[in-house]
Parts: sequence; C-alpha cells; structure tokens
Amino acid sequence: MAAKRVVIVGGGTAGWMAAAALAKLLPGRCDVHLVESEAIGIVGVGEATLPHIRAFNERLGIDEADFMAATRATFKLGIEFVNWGRIGDSYIHPFGTFGPGGGEIDFHQFWLRLKQQGMNVPDLDLFSMACTMARMNRFALPSHDSRRLDSTFGYAYQFDATLYGPYLRGIAEKMGAKRTEGRIVAVHRDGESGDVTSVQLENGERIEGDLFVDCSGFVSLLLDKTLSEPFEDWSRWLLNDRATAMPCRTAGPVTPYTGVIAMPHGWRWRIPLQHRTGNGYVYSSQFLSDDDAAAALIGAVEGEPIAEPRVLRFKAGRRRRSWVNNCVGVGLASGFLEPLESTSIYLIQAAITALLELFPQDEISPVDRNEFNRLIDLEYDRVRDFLILHYHATERADTPYWDYCRTMEIPDSLAEKMELFRRRGRVVKYREGVFLDASWVAVYLGQRVIPQGHDLRADAPSPESLVAGMRKLAADIHGLSEMMEDHGAYLRRYCPMKDAA
Amino acid sequence: MRDVVVVGGGLLGWSAAAALRRKIPALRVTVAALPPPVDALVERIGSTLPSIIEFHRDLGMSDGDALLRANCSFRLGTEFGGWAGDRPSYVHAYDRYGQGIGTASFHVHWIRQARLGATQPFDAYSPAAQMARAGRFLLPDDDLESPFAHFGYGLALDPVLYPQMMRAYALHLGAIERPGGFSGVNLRGEDGFIESLALDDGSTLSADLFVDCTGPRALLRSALDTAYEDWSAWLPCDRLLFADAAPAADPSPLDICIAHGAGWRWVAPSRSRTSHGFAYASGEISDDKAARTLRGHAGVDPQAPITIRQGRRPEPWLRNCVALGDAATMVEPLEWTNLHLAHSAIDRLVAMMPDRDCAPVELWDYNRQCAAESDRVRDFLVLHYATADRAEPLWRRMRDTAPPLSLKHTLDLFRERGRLPFYEEETFSRDSWLAVLLGQSVIPTHIDPLIDIVPSVQSERTMAAMRERIARQIPALPTQAQFLGNIQRQAAR
Repeated sequence: MAAKRVVIVGGGTAGWMAAAALAKLLPGRCDVHLVESEAIGIVGVGEATLPHIRAFNERLGIDEADFMAATRATFKLGIEFVNWGRIGDSYIHPFGTFGPGGGEIDFHQFWLRLKQQGMNVPDLDLFSMACTMARMNRFALPSHDSRRLDSTFGYAYQFDATLYGPYLRGIAEKMGAKRTEGRIVAVHRDGESGDVTSVQLENGERIEGDLFVDCSGFVSLLLDKTLSEPFEDWSRWLLNDRATAMPCRTAGPVTPYTGVIAMPHGWRWRIPLQHRTGNGYVYSSQFLSDDDAAAALIGAVEGEPIAEPRVLRFKAGRRRRSWVNNCVGVGLASGFLEPLESTSIYLIQAAITALLELFPQDEISPVDRNEFNRLIDLEYDRVRDFLILHYHATERADTPYWDYCRTMEIPDSLAEKMELFRRRGRVVKYREGVFLDASWVAVYLGQRVIPQGHDLRADAPSPESLVAGMRKLAADIHGLSEMMEDHGAYLRRYCPMKDAA
Repeated sequence: MRDVVVVGGGLLGWSAAAALRRKIPALRVTVAALPPPVDALVERIGSTLPSIIEFHRDLGMSDGDALLRANCSFRLGTEFGGWAGDRPSYVHAYDRYGQGIGTASFHVHWIRQARLGATQPFDAYSPAAQMARAGRFLLPDDDLESPFAHFGYGLALDPVLYPQMMRAYALHLGAIERPGGFSGVNLRGEDGFIESLALDDGSTLSADLFVDCTGPRALLRSALDTAYEDWSAWLPCDRLLFADAAPAADPSPLDICIAHGAGWRWVAPSRSRTSHGFAYASGEISDDKAARTLRGHAGVDPQAPITIRQGRRPEPWLRNCVALGDAATMVEPLEWTNLHLAHSAIDRLVAMMPDRDCAPVELWDYNRQCAAESDRVRDFLVLHYATADRAEPLWRRMRDTAPPLSLKHTLDLFRERGRLPFYEEETFSRDSWLAVLLGQSVIPTHIDPLIDIVPSVQSERTMAAMRERIARQIPALPTQAQFLGNIQRQAAR
C-alpha cells in the first residue's frame, strides 16, 4: 500500500495541528506536505482552549511544561461571564462538576430543592472545585483518584496561538513533514471526478496530492473558492460578525480563567498569558462601527496597550459538508463559531481526530466521508445551541442589540432544552458533544434561567442532613483550594517562559 | 404529583411500585394487581442482563436477597450456534474482549490477525465467555488488574418466587394492593386524561398518573391511542413456544440460542427449571411441527404457542398514562432485553416524574429516550438476522432485507473499517456489538491505520499471553453449584 500524498493548504494553528498529528500518528500511511505563505499571516489572537487539548498534546508526546513555556501559557479552570444575565452579574463556567460528582441524582437538584424550600443556601459556585480555585487564584494538577474531591476539576490552557503553530511545526518536521513557502495562485482538478490534483504556486511549482486538507482559514481556498460548497449561515442567531483584538500589559494577578464580559453590542474577552493579556471585542457591525468598537476596547482594557487594535471579519455558520471530494476542511475553512466558549481549537481537534480515524487507505470511501461529515455536523450543531443560549438567556434591555438577542426565535432543539430546565432543572444528556451537564447548569443558573421544580428523588434526604452535608462539602472545597499554590507562583515554578516579551 | 396507580400484579408492576415508593416516598402508590397475561414476555423470560443488578442495588436489595429468597442463579452470557453457517458457535458475554495494544483497540489487532489467517476465536479473549463455556462462576475480582475484574453478570429468575419477593418488598415499602380486575377506563372530558378505572367490584380508582403494566394489550394505554411501529419486516418471528424441564443439578451460567430454519430456539438453565423455548415465523413452520421440534429438544410438552407482534409504541407515555414492559415495546427474547427495557423505563419514569399536568415537553424527553433505547435494542437483534449465514428461505430473505437506517449506518461503518458509531441510549457496549459482529464473521475491508505502529508479530505475542492468562485460571474456578453453595453456607453462619 502506497503512502498517500497529503497536501495541507495553509499553516497557522489548524495547518500545523493537522501536519503534526498526521505525521506523528500515521507514519508510513502518508507523506505530509504543508504549503504556507508568510505574507498571508494567521488569525491567531491569543487562544483560550478546552480541556480536550490535553489529550491531543499527549498523543503527540508533548511535554506539558515545555509546551507551556514555549507558548507562554497559563492554566485555565473555566470562564468567568460578567454582565450576561443582567449588568453586574458574574458566574464561572467551570471545567468540572458541581458537588462531588457521581451519584445518580445531579448535585444541583439537591441545591434547587433547598432553595425552593426557602432555605438559605450558598451559591452553587462554592460547591465546585474549579470555581473556587479560580476565584481564589489557586492552581494544582487534579488528582487521578476519582474518590477525591480534588479530582473533580479539569483544566485547559490559555496560550499564544502564534507560538503554538511553530511549536507543532517542530514536531511535524522532525517526523518528516515537508514545508513549502509560497502563495497558491491556482488549484488544478481532475476533469472527470472533480478531485483536486495539485496546487500551483506563484513561481510555477505544482504540488500534487491524493488528499488535500484545507487549512486556509476564512479564505476557504478549496472548499469554498474551488469546490463551491455552500455555507449554512447561522447569523440570525449569532449575529456578531466582527472582532477587534488588542493585547495589553497585565495589570493585577494572572488569573487561571478566561474573562468574558458582555458589552453593549457584543462581548469582550480577556485572556491572561504569562507575558501579556489578550483582549478583544466581538460585536455586530449592524449595531456598532469598527471605530466605536476599537474605542470601547481601548477604554475597557486593564493595562497599557501593546499594539493597535486589529479588526477581523467573519460570519457564523459552517459549510454544508466539511469533506468534499478529496478535500477536508479543518478549522475556519470549514466553519466559524465565535470564541465565546473557546471552541475554535476544539473544533480543529475534532476534525483532525475524525480524519485520523477515517484516513483513506485506497480510494476515498463515501462511507468514511459521510461519517466524517456527520461527526463534524454534530459537533458544530451542539456548540451552536450552547452559544445561542448565552445570548438568549438574558434580561438585558439596555441596547437594541440585547433586545434582539433576548427576543429572537431560537432553534427548536434549544427551546426544548431550556423549557426542560425551567420546569425541574433537567439537563438533556448526550453522550457525544463537547459540553456536559455542569456546563449547561452553570450557564442556565448563571443567566437566571431558574427552574420552578426539582427532581423529586432529591426530596428523600432530610433537610438537616442535606444542609450539614453541603456545609461540609463547601468547607472541604475551600480548605483544599486554600492549600494550593497561587497560580502565578505555580507557573513561575512549573513552566516559566524563556524570555519576556 | 401525589397519587400513582400501577396496573398489573406481575413482577413488572411490583418492581415499578417498589421503585416509585423507594425513590419518591411522597407518592401514594396503589397496585391494581391483575394477574399478568401469558403473552407478557417480561414476566415469562427468566434470563436477565447485568442491569438487573444495578436495579436491585438502587432499590436497596442485594444479590444475596435475590439468590437466597428468590432462588435466582447467575448467568454470564449466551452461546450462539448455527447462526454463522458451519463456523463454530460464539459466546456473547458482558465483558471486555481483550485489551488495547499500543494506540489501537484490541479488535483491530484481532481483525488484522484474523485476516492473516492465524488467530483464536474472538471469545477466547473474554474471561467471562471462557468461564461460561466451562460452566464456572465467580463474582468479579476487586483487583482491577485481574482479567476477571471487568465482566457483568445477569440473573436467571425463578418465575414464581421472584415476583413474590418483589411484591413483598413493594408492600414493605408502603405500596397498597387492590386485588381483582377492572372493567373500564374513564377519560376526563376536557383533556382526555385518564380520570379513573372502573373496578370489578363497582368502585372506581382515580389517580394523577396511571402506570400500565398489563402486557402487550396495554389495557389502559390503548384507551388513549393505538399507534404502533411494527418491526416484523426485520424481526420475523411471530410465535413463541415455552417448555420448562427439570433443573440441572449444576445449572450452567451460559444460555444457548440455536438458529433454526424457521427461527431459533433457546435453552436457559437456572436453579428452578431448564427453560426451553422456540421463536419462529408462523409462515415457515406449522405450530404442530414447531411443538414437536421443541418437544424433541426439551423432553417435555410445550405449552400453547403465544403470538407476538414485535415493535413499539411511538409514545409510551401519553397524557397521564405511561406504558411499561410489553405494553410499550415487544421484542423476541433473543439477547434477553425484555426486562432490561422495562427496568430502564422504570428508572426513567422515576427520574423524570413530572407534575400532575404531565407537561408535553417532559413527556417528549421521556419518549425520546425510550425510543432511542428501544430502536438500538431492535438494531442489535436485527444484527443477528441481517448478518447470519444460513440457506433457508427465511434467512435468505432476512439477509436481503434492508436493515433500519441506524443499523445500516453501523454495518456500513463497521464493514468499511471496523468502526462502531455511538448512539444515544445504547444498551449494549462496543464489546457486545463486536462479539456478535465478529462471532458472525463480519470482517471489515480496512482497518484502523493507527495500528501500523505495532508490528503483527508483536500483536500475536501479546494476544497469546492474554489467552493463556485466562485459560490458565479457568480450571481452578468453582462451578455455579459450588459457588451458590458457598454463598448459602456463608449466609447460614
């Protein structure tokens, strides 16, 4: 069996993640050839991730501390949402459970029951390791012993995405991946099958391949420009179409969480790295001009700006199919969902994982291609509903932007989920999909979707034993967190970056 | 929600009543204890899946209660003979089949070796399957490093003592019994909810929620609508025969299902009986001939045949009436899912108990989950027919019938490269699917490329070590009778 010639179009985070994974995990099955142009540049604006990325790095044999030092990374225990349900509100969406985890009745059901009985119970945050550690600015690696409370949180990273690509490039090239510098000026296709046969560079060189991975970003050179795969537009639910990004010096502690602050016409991110803090304002151009957005961002950031604001344009949605003919779209070339829940790198990873498992041996099989597209659609659709929830579950009425979000029609799949939660705190459970129960519970309650009832099984224990158990749990969580190191100190000891910016 | 009436006095009705009382003590639960009809398979099939153990534990019952008070015994799996042409039988146990080597799953290694022509049967790598074949039994080892630590086991129920135990337990938990039958269902004018049952003694019984455990005819639920999704195109058996023979002195923990030109027959050993049965398509064999066939194997006369219609209600829960067991889904006993589906529905009912208004959105979620679960059980059963290799007309027809879409998806992916897609509410694990697929010689065209890192000789070496580690320990394990004897002696002390 001959090795497949895989041509990756575009460097950047998606391109180099794909190159490294294919070269490292399918040696002998494929020859990886990546084409990129330094003149084009990449979108990467400082990236917050989800815990799944750890599995990706692990499979590539990446040493965590080395990777974190190289990308100037910090730890991330969750996301703090500010001003979403109402101005002045704040909640954390944690990576981890509420309560000790396990058990057939979700912890929040007991909490709801006591609240509905009029008891004075502490905020749900205090029963989450991740939330408590985040609020206290502490960090330690989770325990592997599932009986222990300090095994009930996960973590991800916040890192400089412009450094992650080059880091992976080192791995990919060591495993034999080839890189060619140059701008693609033409794409050649087979007249009969429509498959892409080669890409042609400015200097006339043609790079031939059996399988093409489109990592060209918003340009979507193969899927859109060459194969004209239609785009499903989701902007009626997710109306933001611009972001303006600007890093600044960090003022105050380096937090082990990402900040997501609702603004009059969108929201603002705050991603603390070791050497700086990334900021950006994601907004809708229908409601806000680029200049006003930049001014609002400059006015809002905490420290001295390090660069001028840079504007990005996008549209929420995805290509109808991500794998068409012999072209597989990975990352922005296949779809875009705003980084509200840090899903960009996760969606890249999901596509790469599916490609690895469905990698063609002889001819590309339609069965494999359909399965790839089914898996990717599922990921996008589930993330989409979760994102829409953040906009729709609000009482904000301070601008026409929020009026639209609050009153817009939402997909039936989400309307049913919200109604179920409103009735008795039930979360629709799925085995697949990136966000699990605790994520949904955090956002619902954090944004004032308050259930009228609760799971009747939660009525079994006596209120006294329940209150005493909860008090002890919150105290244990607080005690464990307090013994942990300060996040900044942990970073300086574990993975200090080589040179300051 | 305050008052619940459970209609049906068999093991299902009493199990539902016990679960409701135990989990939601605020409910008043009355059981209208109609004797179950003969065609209620949940009541008649004694072989159960490992989920029954969890169900008992949730109710606060131990394995010991079931074994000692209700004369149950253990079962580890099922041996399938004659399904895959003249290939040897295979065992579906509720266990791991091998362990992954390198980054690839075990079955990928097995398939690679099988294609090279050199490997032992897939079930040689399942400790429980090997234990079952040898007639031995042991509870799972606490030491997770042991090969005998990861299997599940079901129970073989005593058809008389088990319902009695469940009834006693439900009454102990505070359920109220109303003996006798009922003559009619009174609907409320404004919304079509069930208002009350007219009982034989002239009184009425009203409630907020009615739980229909009356078997396939669904005496209550059918009063609301009779929509039914028929699966007979895929599952052709429409008759069942039962013949109970005397129990063996040392009942095997392994049930046997043998394919037949007109269907399949089973032998299910337990402490109380050796249950023989025959599931067949009435178009392929006469009832008389079927009865003679079964008598030949069982050595006793079968009872009158039962007619079944396989399929499910699209909405088991409508308004204030929820159908459980055969009233909701009816499938042949192949793979012993009847009581499993009923238990699962009881758990779901308890977990999702709504207010009196039985809001459509809450019922929608309940029905969605039930449908997903039943459909995947259906797929797993159809899998046995769709991939079987036999020459009789029935089997040729089954091979040529297009499977349900979700099974087609599974089969397409597996045949292409040995992948199994995840479905929500799946009953059977990946290893279970693999046991049947590979047992019936469905071999993928391609295999997972991630296996390249491990050379084939290394796979074979590791696989041989796994087999030997299992085989070495089997002779030292107790037989079922020895094991049960030990438990009884310990309890007597």
